[in-house]
Amino acid sequence: MHLIKKQQEIANAHFDTTVFAEGVAGTGKTTAAIERIKSLIKSGVSADSILVLTPQATLALPYRTALRRSRVKTAADVHTETLGSLAFRMVDLFWPLLPDEFTLKGRPHFLTLEMVQYYMSRLVEPEIRRQDYFNSVHISRNRLYTQIVDNLNKAALIGFPHEQIGERLKSAWLGDVEQTYIYDDAQACANLFREKCREYNMFDFSLQVALFRDYLWQQQPVRVYMTKKYRHLIVENIEEDTPATHELLREWLPVCESAVLIYDKDGGFRRFLGADPDNALTLKDVCKVHVELDRGRVMSPDLEAFQIAIAPHLGEKNGATRPKTGDPRGAIAYSQDTRYQPQMIDWAVEHIASLVHDQGVSPREIVVLSAFMPDALRFSLQSRLDERHVPSRTHRPSRALREEPAARALLTLARLAHPDWGMKPSKYDVTYALTAAIADLDLVRARLLTDILYRDGRLLPFEHISEAQMQSRITFDLGGRYDTLRAWLDTYSSTLALPLDVFFSKLFGEVLSQPKFGFHKRFDAANVAANLVDSAREFRQEVGKIEPDVPAAPEYVRMVDAGVIANLYVRDWEAEKQDAVLIAPAYTFLLYNQPVEYQFWLNIGASGWGQRLHQPLTHPYVMSLQWDENAKWTDAMEVVASQKALYYLIAGLIRRCRKGIYLGYSEYGEQGLEQRGPLLMAVQNMLRRLVREERHV
Amino acid sequence: MNLPDDFVFSQTSLQDYVDCPRRFELRYVLRQRWPAPEVDDMLEFEARMEKGDQFHHLVHQHLAGIAAEKLLASSGDADVRRWFEMYLETGLEDVPEPRRPETTITVPLGEAMVLAKFDLLAVEPGGRALIVDWKTSERLPSAERLAKRLQTIVYRYVLAAGGDAFYGGQPIPPERIEMIYWYADHEGTTRRFPYDARQFAADAAYLEGLANEIATRPAFPLTPDVTRCRFCPYRSLCDRGVQAGRLEEWDDDEDEIDLTTFTLDIDQIAEIEY
Repeated sequence: MHLIKKQQEIANAHFDTTVFAEGVAGTGKTTAAIERIKSLIKSGVSADSILVLTPQATLALPYRTALRRSRVKTAADVHTETLGSLAFRMVDLFWPLLPDEFTLKGRPHFLTLEMVQYYMSRLVEPEIRRQDYFNSVHISRNRLYTQIVDNLNKAALIGFPHEQIGERLKSAWLGDVEQTYIYDDAQACANLFREKCREYNMFDFSLQVALFRDYLWQQQPVRVYMTKKYRHLIVENIEEDTPATHELLREWLPVCESAVLIYDKDGGFRRFLGADPDNALTLKDVCKVHVELDRGRVMSPDLEAFQIAIAPHLGEKNGATRPKTGDPRGAIAYSQDTRYQPQMIDWAVEHIASLVHDQGVSPREIVVLSAFMPDALRFSLQSRLDERHVPSRTHRPSRALREEPAARALLTLARLAHPDWGMKPSKYDVTYALTAAIADLDLVRARLLTDILYRDGRLLPFEHISEAQMQSRITFDLGGRYDTLRAWLDTYSSTLALPLDVFFSKLFGEVLSQPKFGFHKRFDAANVAANLVDSAREFRQEVGKIEPDVPAAPEYVRMVDAGVIANLYVRDWEAEKQDAVLIAPAYTFLLYNQPVEYQFWLNIGASGWGQRLHQPLTHPYVMSLQWDENAKWTDAMEVVASQKALYYLIAGLIRRCRKGIYLGYSEYGEQGLEQRGPLLMAVQNMLRRLVREERHV
Repeated sequence: MNLPDDFVFSQTSLQDYVDCPRRFELRYVLRQRWPAPEVDDMLEFEARMEKGDQFHHLVHQHLAGIAAEKLLASSGDADVRRWFEMYLETGLEDVPEPRRPETTITVPLGEAMVLAKFDLLAVEPGGRALIVDWKTSERLPSAERLAKRLQTIVYRYVLAAGGDAFYGGQPIPPERIEMIYWYADHEGTTRRFPYDARQFAADAAYLEGLANEIATRPAFPLTPDVTRCRFCPYRSLCDRGVQAGRLEEWDDDEDEIDLTTFTLDIDQIAEIEY
């Protein structure tokens, strides 16, 4: 691996001190840090004494992959953690050292995000209804819960008592009084959720972080354990991390053997999750050695020129001087005469297919990005890429489980097998379940079976079809399979009910995956079924421990129907390493932090580029360590913040591109409205200026 | 080459291969999930696994420095408590310092890597190197049988090949290595397996041969021993039966069953609805 001098300083020196490495994205900081790890190990350092700390798990992937591939002995044993995973591990290990009020009920129940949503709906929702909270807020319940949780998380990550959430938000508010009521409601719900967590011994992310930073980290045994275990720190993208991480490091750095802190200038994309680049920069003073990398190793000269040329049009006054070699226009291609979105999609797919099939570009070197990635756009892209034989993946490889035919079939069969739940499936659902469950059964015959044999929530035997002609039409072969399934369900119903995940597993193994049934040798259906089994098991195990009296199985089915559970059920490895075009929102791609050769930016006329999410219960800038508690959030601040966010976003994207960017534009957006967003304006203004400058020369 | 370039073998995956090449292919090459039951009584099976996990966690907490009295006060299950008391009595007998619980070592193996995750590694620099594996199984297997298990082979080999950093930067002489299986449900009975250079060389040749065979073989056939299929979740995929085997007949030292490999992503802080 060829490293430039400053990279070598990070990779091969300062093994006994702390290093602050800064530079914009694409200057080779991560590459140097990976080399440092190998050098440390080769010098005799135990791999498991090296900790790579990242703001989110995906940012550890380049480390894990490179270290495994390196074939350096033990390199793969380096630990990678986030603050969240570290807090979880330490709380899980050292919880007996917590104050008595947290230990009396035994080992805590650690809540996943899914279970947090569930307990929000179960424990907080009744109070929301009773008190008529949030009556003027029109967003989905899940997003509402998420923002309540977000406030609790921010309080823990920034380090203020969760009881001050409402006051903090209200004191910054300048508008009508109605909004202050919403903040009061958000506070009441946060308080209630925390109370319930304490009552049921449930530790959500915010409580884990708060207990870790405020209590366990202050305990000598825990601090000794951590600082003895991890002697060498590599901290990736500290500008994307939160004050909780920064304060931990402020106390850890002076006692560790060595550390490298990597700081991306112009970062801070996770601000809405509590990232604080300003606070991160203060750690520079704690580090003994400072290394600044300024030589781009990713962008082509044209892309570098593009990044510099567009900066002033995005409000960046202090841009760098344009390099002499690159041409900004050489870095971009854009769609022309595209009035409607489908035309723009066709244009993008055409170029992607050409890159892959004609120019031999690996699909993993292409990303398709937009400000937001609505399902319709994602679906259109995926199906058109499929038609052109270009593999693609999205940042959410699975849809909600309830939308998968295999999962729907299992859930419907579960209702049939459990008449005591009082949740009879509709004829429509039964028809679809039969087509999924029985191989070769088409919709017409499944409908006939349902119409004739589905009575009062139960399936009757095939022989109950009185007309021989109808039996022949369905065929005796299919009738026999139907009877096998029905008999299995009947036998099951007559015995003691099993937990839902066990029911799914047995039904899958003993019937559905057997020859002549719908899941036999169907790998995709098996994966969905496995995800459903995992999800139902986790739900049953957690709820069973927390509230043993709650009937977990019907509760689970109700929650799946309501979209609370199994919404984003994705096994981590499914998202990994496919040689496929990534389709993602722009910020998601940034947070993968892995450069690619080509980027496609779609709907550049959309106003969403640079705009923050509508979050009526919270506020990313006010819920920040940098916020002056006496200040008010004004419209002018909003404009400046949006402009800055757009600049950082665009600069971040360009710096993660090696060869070229395709700008997709359609005159009318998805909703049929004309698109004149700030990114489009910036691109057009830049192009006009370049023409003017050319004439002038 | 059948495997990705960052593939990592483990004792479980190698054992799977030895037991049934097709199972190895499905589970580790194709990463195909197949959620059929491994045993008939899944709840009892789960309860045993859960108790085993609880015991391992208690030991980890104890080795991390939490006082035994505090841990005893928090352990609810009678079996787990009994096992933990037995551990306190004999589990650390003659186990040298420093003690490293839950330690992983990964070393190259052929074109891939192999890892061992040790319950406890106790390596005195310049002295003995003990591998301790806590077992909570109901059955007590014979030493002859354990000696043939890939866990015994892989763990000792990996420590000899990659334990340098715990031994002052020098390779640990195989003669200094010993692996101990400690049986909680059998009053702390142990099965001990010393090591030596000859066995290390033989293990290296065997494991590299296996890795090479896996990497280059054109197909992964089903095991001819159909009795193994009773406890294999892929049995319906391979047309090798309907019902899972009986839990009473399942040899909990024979099969390492991966109940779930779902990784909890506790960093998912929501509202990422771009």
